[in-house]
Formats: sequence, C-alpha cells, structure tokens
Amino acid sequence: MAFQYMLDACGNVLAPYNLLMLIMATAAGLVMGVLPGLSATMAIALLTGLTYNVGDHQTAIIALLGVYVGAISGGCQSAILLNIPGTPASAATAMDGFPLAKAGKGGLAIFIATTVSCLGTLLSVVFVLTLTPLLTRFALSFASWEFFLLSIFGILICGALTARGNALKGWISGAAGILVAQIGLDTVDTFERFSYGNVNVMSGIQLIPVMIGLFGFPEIVLAFKRESGGRVLELTRFNIREGFRIIRANLIGIARSALIGVGVGIIPGVGEDVGGWLSYWAMKASSREAASFGSGNPQGIVAAETGNNSCIGGAIIPVLSLAVPGSAPAAVLLAAFFMHNYRPGPLLMSESPEFVYNVAIYLVFASVAMWLLALGMARLTVRVLTVDKKILMPIIFLLCVIGAYLINYNLFDVKVMFVFGLVGLGMSYLKVPAAPFILGVVLGPMTDANLRRALRLSDGSFLPMFGRPICVAFLAVCLFMILSQIGLFSWWRRRRAGKGN
Amino acid sequence: MKRILSAALAALLICSLSPAGDWPNKNINMTVPYGAGGTTDLTARSIANGMSKVLGITINVINTPGAGGSAGSLNVQNARVDGYTLLANGMLAFTTMPLNGYTEKTFREWDIWIATYAPNGIIVPKNSPYNTITDLVEAIRAKPGQITAGTAGKGSGGHFGAEVIKGVAGADYKHITYAGGGPAVQATLAGEVDFCPQLLAEYKDLVIAGEVKALACLAEDDIEVAPGKVIPSILKAYPEAKKYIPMGEVTGILVPKGLPNEVLAKLDAAFASAAKEKDFLDFAAVRSFVVIPKGRAESQAFLESFASRAAYILYDAGAVTIDPAKYGFKR
Repeated sequence: MAFQYMLDACGNVLAPYNLLMLIMATAAGLVMGVLPGLSATMAIALLTGLTYNVGDHQTAIIALLGVYVGAISGGCQSAILLNIPGTPASAATAMDGFPLAKAGKGGLAIFIATTVSCLGTLLSVVFVLTLTPLLTRFALSFASWEFFLLSIFGILICGALTARGNALKGWISGAAGILVAQIGLDTVDTFERFSYGNVNVMSGIQLIPVMIGLFGFPEIVLAFKRESGGRVLELTRFNIREGFRIIRANLIGIARSALIGVGVGIIPGVGEDVGGWLSYWAMKASSREAASFGSGNPQGIVAAETGNNSCIGGAIIPVLSLAVPGSAPAAVLLAAFFMHNYRPGPLLMSESPEFVYNVAIYLVFASVAMWLLALGMARLTVRVLTVDKKILMPIIFLLCVIGAYLINYNLFDVKVMFVFGLVGLGMSYLKVPAAPFILGVVLGPMTDANLRRALRLSDGSFLPMFGRPICVAFLAVCLFMILSQIGLFSWWRRRRAGKGN
Repeated sequence: MKRILSAALAALLICSLSPAGDWPNKNINMTVPYGAGGTTDLTARSIANGMSKVLGITINVINTPGAGGSAGSLNVQNARVDGYTLLANGMLAFTTMPLNGYTEKTFREWDIWIATYAPNGIIVPKNSPYNTITDLVEAIRAKPGQITAGTAGKGSGGHFGAEVIKGVAGADYKHITYAGGGPAVQATLAGEVDFCPQLLAEYKDLVIAGEVKALACLAEDDIEVAPGKVIPSILKAYPEAKKYIPMGEVTGILVPKGLPNEVLAKLDAAFASAAKEKDFLDFAAVRSFVVIPKGRAESQAFLESFASRAAYILYDAGAVTIDPAKYGFKR
C-alpha cells in the first residue's frame, strides 16, 4: 500500500506542469534564501496566498515544499560569500564558510554546503516515513521548563562556539540578545516593556532587521577599511572530487547532524537556526580537528547545513501527526495545508493516508531540484566576489535596507536595522561575536515566557525543574559547559599533575 | 487653452468617480487582518468566492496581519468608503478594540453580515482525573485559584471561555497564557495545564482521535463532532450558565457605514447567496463552525447582546480598564 502511494506521488511530481512548478518554486525559494531579509517563513507565507486559487492541490503542495527547501538551503551562499547569513538558519554556516571563501575556496564551500543540504533533507524524509509517532511522543513531553532550559542551552552553546576562546564574550552577547527580545508587548500578560509609549516599539523588535544590521554593517564597513582597489577576494577553481571526498570522510558527522536536526525540528518553537548551531557544536565537540573550527574547516559547514536542512523533515513530522508545527516556517506550511483542504493531525492517517507519502516524495524531489539549481546558481553567485567592492558593497547596503523594509513595509524596521548596524560595528571592534546575539533575539521570548509560565504553574518554586529527566540532562550539560569554559577542569587537572610531581 | 484643459480634466475626474449604480465595476479587496490559512482567512476566502460569483467580479483576499488583528481593521476603517474595501473579521475583536482604547468605533459604526459561529469547548488532557464538566467545576470550587487554564492570552477566545467556567463555578481558576491557540492546545496534550477552553475548531481532530477529552461546549446545543461522538452543551449540567451562552467566535464581513443603499442591497444579495454555497457549507461542517447567516439588521441585534456579554466578561476579569458602559453596553 505504502509503495503504491509513493508511486502515485512520483507520478504527480513528474507531470510536466507540476515539475515546472517545483523547479520554479525551488528557484524562487533559493533566491529568497540568498537575499538577506527574505526568510523561509516569509517565502512560504507569500506563496500560500498565491496558491489559493491553484486548482490542483497537489501542485500547490509541491510548490510550497519546493520553496521551503529552497529558502532554507539558499541562505548558505550569502553566509559563505559575504558573511551575511541569507536566513537566520545559516548563521552557523558563516562560521567556517566565510573563512574558506576568504581563502579562495568559496566555490568548494558552496558545493559542500549545497550537497549536504540535499543529504540532510533526504535523511530527514526517512524519519518522516518511519519514526513519526515515536518522535512526536518525545517532543510532546516538552513543557515550559524544558523549553526554558533548551533556550538557555542553545545560547550557551552558541556563545561558547563563536567567541574564539573567550566564551564569556559570547554569553554576554547572547544575554544582550535576550534583553532586546524583551522589548514590546510580552506574551504572558500582554504588558508593555521598554516601549516608552511608542507604537512601533510596542510591537517588538523584529529579528530580520537586527540580523541584517549586525551582520551586514560590519562587513560593509570593514570591506572599505581593508586596502583599497582590486578584487574583494580571489577565487580559485575547485575540484568536485575534493568536495565528494570531504563529504565521504564525514558521513558519520552527517548522520549525527541529521539526527540532531530532525530532533530539534520536531520540538515545537525551535527550528532551523537552532538545528544548525546544535549540529555544529556536536561536530566540533567530537572532531579531532576542533581547534581549526571557525577558521575554515569544511566539517563546520557539513554539520551546520545538514543540521538546518534536516530540521525541515523534523518540523513537518509534528505538523502531520498532531497539527502542531515544529518551526516557524512549518507553522505557515500547516496553515497552507489547511487551505488546500488537507487536515493534518491525528486523523490524517485514516482520512488521507496518501498525504504523508506525498509530502515525503515531494520533499525528495524538491531537495534534488534544489541541489541542481543551487549549484547552477552558485556559478553566478560566486562571481559576486569578483565584483569590485566599490560597486558590490553599496549594492549590498541597498539590499540590507530593502530587506529590512520588506518585513512589514515599515520604515521603523529600517531604523532598527541602522541602530543595530552601529551596535554590530561596535561589537566587531570589541571582538564580541554577533551570532549569539541573534540567537538571543530568536530565543528570548521563549526563555522569558516559559520561565515565567513555569514559575506561575509551580507557584514560584524552582523545584519542579529538578524532577523532570530532560531538564536534569539539560542542566547537567549547561553546568558542564560553564565549568569547562571558566577553566575549572584545566585548573583541576593542573593541580593533580602538580601533586603527581 | 488653460480653461479647456481644466474643463477636460474635470470631466475626466467626474467620469472616474463612477455613480453607485455601476458598482461594482472593478475588483473588490477583502482585508483579512490575520495571516493566510488561519480560521478567519479560510472563512473569508470561502465567502469571497461565493460573493464574487453573484457580483460578477473578483474579490481579492488581502492578508494584513499585525497588532493582534487591529492593524488590518483600522486600515479598512480609515479607507475610502466606496464599497471596494471589505473587511472579514471576528466580532470579539470589535469588542476588545474599543475597550483597549485602540479605536472609539464599535460594531455599531459598521454594516455587518455575520456568517459563522465557532463555539468554545472545554478540553482536558487524556489522562486527566476529570471526566465530566461537573468534575472540573467541583475541582475549581474545592481548590479555588489552583486549577490551571491554558489560553491564547488575555482577551483571546479562550480567555472568554475560561471566564464562563469561573462564572459557573463561582471560584477563580489560575490563568496560564500561551503565545497562541496552538501552543495552548499543545500544553494540554503535554498535560501542563488542567484544562483548555479554546475554540473547538482548534482541536476538533484531537478530540475525535481521543488525544484529549472534551467535557463540554459553550454552545446552546450539543455538538456532534463525529458519528457517535457528541460534546454536550454546558447547559445540560449547568442551566444557570444561560446568561453567558452562546460564547465563542463569531465571524463575518464588515464595511464602515456610509455606503449608498443600492450598493448595500447588492452586498446583501451576494452575501445571502454565498452563505448557501455548497463549498462554504462543506468547509464550515469540516471545521465544526455553525453557519448562522444574518443580514445587517439581524447582525446588529445579535451583536448588541453578544458584544455586551463579552465586554463585561473582559471588564469583570480586569483584562480591560475602559468601562463598557462608556460605549453603551448594557449588562
């Protein structure tokens, strides 16, 4: 039966009109992913409205999944070439991708990133088809305490990873991000915080303008500060065999990153961005070359891009089984499914059992289409690096402004972008990493609302936190990370070594 | 020369200001103040399809989410009243917006066609000790302020439902707010809250699949969500709840008052026909919406009682500070 459904789905997607739609949607998703400021969530939301009148619902679903896969994968190109993540999901990719591009290996980096993106999506499809019920049960055991600790855990990891030896700077940056996220109406009591009566501030600081400002501004300014004239970066041709060799050497890492990505994807409220960071951390922690992470180790790209792309399948799992979205783009996708007369949720398997297989097969085709299109597009995007920076940088600046404006068609967001651009410039002079700040803005509402909700449920007691197994595991890892970063372990080891003498 | 030019310009202007008899001679925009795919959006699109068949033009549905739905509503309120800008919205928003001070205008300043009613339900986790609404109400009475209710926040549809339960029990519950209806339902699945009083449409399938237990609905009659699966009306156990019932979200089409009568008459006809379309009725049945098509006069009368009930529930709960009496709402 399952086989029959899959065959039907293949037939659907290979119909000429649907195939054309898949290619167009995936390409559109890639372009939106490459451009900073156009996120995957927005891409799917735009397409949801556009597909309402598409007669064949299958065509619409194919287009929506194509745009999702494209948008999450496209972000790596701008992250690698410009150090400005195209979407928040590819922030971790910039860590090693940009140093590689600076070393003239931008093409290789994009090839690896795109290939593992495709692999990540494919691996997550396997989970969609097999482990859906089991994984959903696990994700559902997450309640307020778990969400609170998960967000703290994510920021601690990101801070430690990006700070180049001084984790404290990363954590300060993350904490500042959480503080920025508190601005505006809070989600627990709809109480105004730090808005000073300004209506725009009341609706909160948007993530995308902050991200564009923090990442974009320093790159533009620093590019002009470096010696003038000539090309921005040198670009050398790369050997596809080398790309495949690196991927083959990291198959275990890819499997691990995919597992992490799927897991993060299933948990409601955390999505592709966290998936990228957690896989990156796991890869670094288990790598023999940990020291070279952050200065252009392809393993970093492999982990980050597998991690964020496998979140796609992960986030779709709870959509299908419970109608609870696992990430922000998946939430829009859920709405789109409803619009096309599908009712994802516990009744899906009895009402339209073919739908799960359709989604899985469409994802497979979308990721293959993405791979081909992205590599074709990379031939154009890598040439960006050969453009004179006197021409390139003003264009990027313009894109930054437009990207910030497009979120809500609101000039206030452009001002926010400028303010955080200056903040980002200051941070880059002080060598404070920007990525934890962004993650803080992403996870800040989750940290705050879940802590307060949990405390309200327990009448202000922290004790219930220690009675939950997942919480205890999170706490243990957080504690271990803090202790190792402040040098307690090396101090202890030195002392023992001293006694031995 | 100048005079001829200005005369020509004036003539052009007059021509472009088409008389009401021609309406509609171009496409109509219907603003939905929430994102695509949500409950309001789907209802709006379904009705827009039916109406455009009668009017012979296309009705474009435009999503303008933001500020909890007030952004889109205020846009339409401030737009030119020419019959080419319609609004689709829930009526609870028109109760909360004036009481929050976002606008001075209530539903009385609008011409309204009510389409659907989506009742609140009361659900509890699968393994909850409460099996009937009486169990839950007795538990609230026994432990005032300790039984937790998960809702989508202050002034949300779920908050209204929780306040009805409080009124019936005569004792308070503990209000736990989430970022939306989805997260509140998810918290119920995870067993984090004792009950969830959100709209039935938000978790109907979970009830049918047995993932959560539905104790009651806040409609006047029982609701059969699936063959043999009936959610009893709260009136069965507590007839005194009559003064709060029906509670839930009421959705319809609105235009600011001031349109010429012939335009309104055409809209009346288009709406009446759209509310009978099979596609619309099917959609409503799947989502467990009750179709209650009401014309303009009927809608106003319905809202006088519905909105004042909702307004005082909010005011008594301390969720808003502006006294509903300011807008002439009677208890």
